[in-house]
Amino acid sequence: MAQKKAYPVYENLFTWPSDEPQLIAGRCRTCGTYYFPRSYVMHHPECKNREATEDVLLSREGKLDSYTVQCFPPPPPFKNPDPFVPYGIGWVSVPEGLSILGIITGCKPEEIKMHMDVKLVVEKVWEDSEGNDVVTWKWKKI
Amino acid sequence: MREVVVIGVGLHNWGKFPDKTVTEMSRVVVTQALEDAGMEWKEVEEVMAGIWIYGGGSGFNPGAALTGIMGDIGIPTVNIYNMCATSTNCFRVAYNSVASGARDVVLAVAADKSPSGFLTVLGRPDPTDPDCIRWAMTGMTNPGYWAIDLRKRMEEFGTTERHLAKAKVASSKFGALNPRALFRKVYTEEEVLSSPMVCDPLRLLMVCATRDGAAAAILCSADKARKYTRKPVIVAGVGEGSSLYGDPTARMGFISEPAKGTAPILSESYAASQAAYKTSGIGPEDIDFVELPDNSSWHYLQYPETLGFWGPGETDKMLDEEQTFLGGKLPINTSGGIASFGEATSANGLAQIYEVVVQLRGEAGERQVQGAKAGMTQTYGMGGNSGSVIMKV
Repeated sequence: MAQKKAYPVYENLFTWPSDEPQLIAGRCRTCGTYYFPRSYVMHHPECKNREATEDVLLSREGKLDSYTVQCFPPPPPFKNPDPFVPYGIGWVSVPEGLSILGIITGCKPEEIKMHMDVKLVVEKVWEDSEGNDVVTWKWKKI
Repeated sequence: MREVVVIGVGLHNWGKFPDKTVTEMSRVVVTQALEDAGMEWKEVEEVMAGIWIYGGGSGFNPGAALTGIMGDIGIPTVNIYNMCATSTNCFRVAYNSVASGARDVVLAVAADKSPSGFLTVLGRPDPTDPDCIRWAMTGMTNPGYWAIDLRKRMEEFGTTERHLAKAKVASSKFGALNPRALFRKVYTEEEVLSSPMVCDPLRLLMVCATRDGAAAAILCSADKARKYTRKPVIVAGVGEGSSLYGDPTARMGFISEPAKGTAPILSESYAASQAAYKTSGIGPEDIDFVELPDNSSWHYLQYPETLGFWGPGETDKMLDEEQTFLGGKLPINTSGGIASFGEATSANGLAQIYEVVVQLRGEAGERQVQGAKAGMTQTYGMGGNSGSVIMKV
């Protein structure tokens, strides 16, 4: 029997495979603007050289700026467990000055607290038809 | 730039119309607007048509579909898409065409049929696109974004769930007075607060439904309007805006934002409204009523502050005092708003314009704002689109 794999829904968003995954952002070396994902480039309007961009691995720890609890199953392309269980989704600010969206994990929705400390993890979102884990990045309460 | 007026408007009922095409719905509203203006189709000189993204050729090429059903006359058509600010942009581009002297009579029209179920990723799945990533990798829905900014507001200003409920109550009271609204029931705060949670803290009755709808407006140069109407409504100013660098809003379709904002929240709407104030010479203090994009109770609370009617956090108090109700300091969404219509994304902007025109003509019946002289519309389009229109008599 083939070994179970774990692969991301989409590639190039975080370092993978890795025991300590990091989100891959982009940054302009000229105007200093960070952006995530690295494919959605943003610059300061007065940037003098928009070609000087680079990949940056973001800090793994941050603080929760705000969150919601998703109380109904999101539509495709997301895949939900059966039965659906409400889950937290938050925006987390990292030292680089970006706030990044992500599923909240490591606690029940009612245990989420504004401004709580979190760290980046990569965990399963669903299983594919061959029983492999499909993974995404999440923010874990610490 | 010469003065431009609205000489005719049309509004389709909002609802579900599985057996009607968008083109047929456009035909209905264009016919109404032509009758309202007392003019023939062949007098229209240009069409600014809103794109419908869920259809085929006639969705992406609505201008040609419309001239086809009305009868091809060889006039220029422009097909426009700015997310939910589409029809306001149709109106703006029509306005520019007349104001510049390029044309005397221009039609703005948009129709939309919302897919059933939840709106999801636009276009083909693209792993480099943040809108695609947010759906596929987090399950973040549109109301989820609004809930994010709402929770920050509740923490900062002490907004309570009662305020969220009261926004719906306020909208429903106007919906009950508007024979053109789809949802006519007046809600109580208790009913709103007992509805199921959708994206905490937003409950079902605090977010809008989606529906089909269409609307149209005919713009004309002021010096030629007398031929068509005795009640011209003057387009005092039009603004369209996009985001400002450093916008801290949780923008729909994005997966990151600046942690610390250096631009106003809803910066695209701020930019659009500032442009409308500037070009019209009319400030928020002179606006008698406003149609704003109440996709959720958060929008209802945030928008008057973004538009400069009062300061940050103050809509809560205004709502407590019922200043946004009929007879209050600033009636909000006398049509009943998206709360009472449902959202037909491409078309709601022109539905707002329809309401402002009806009010300024003094034809709003039970929901009439007494002595209304200047009204404003504001739309909000996903991912940094916006439009503002100020009209006066």
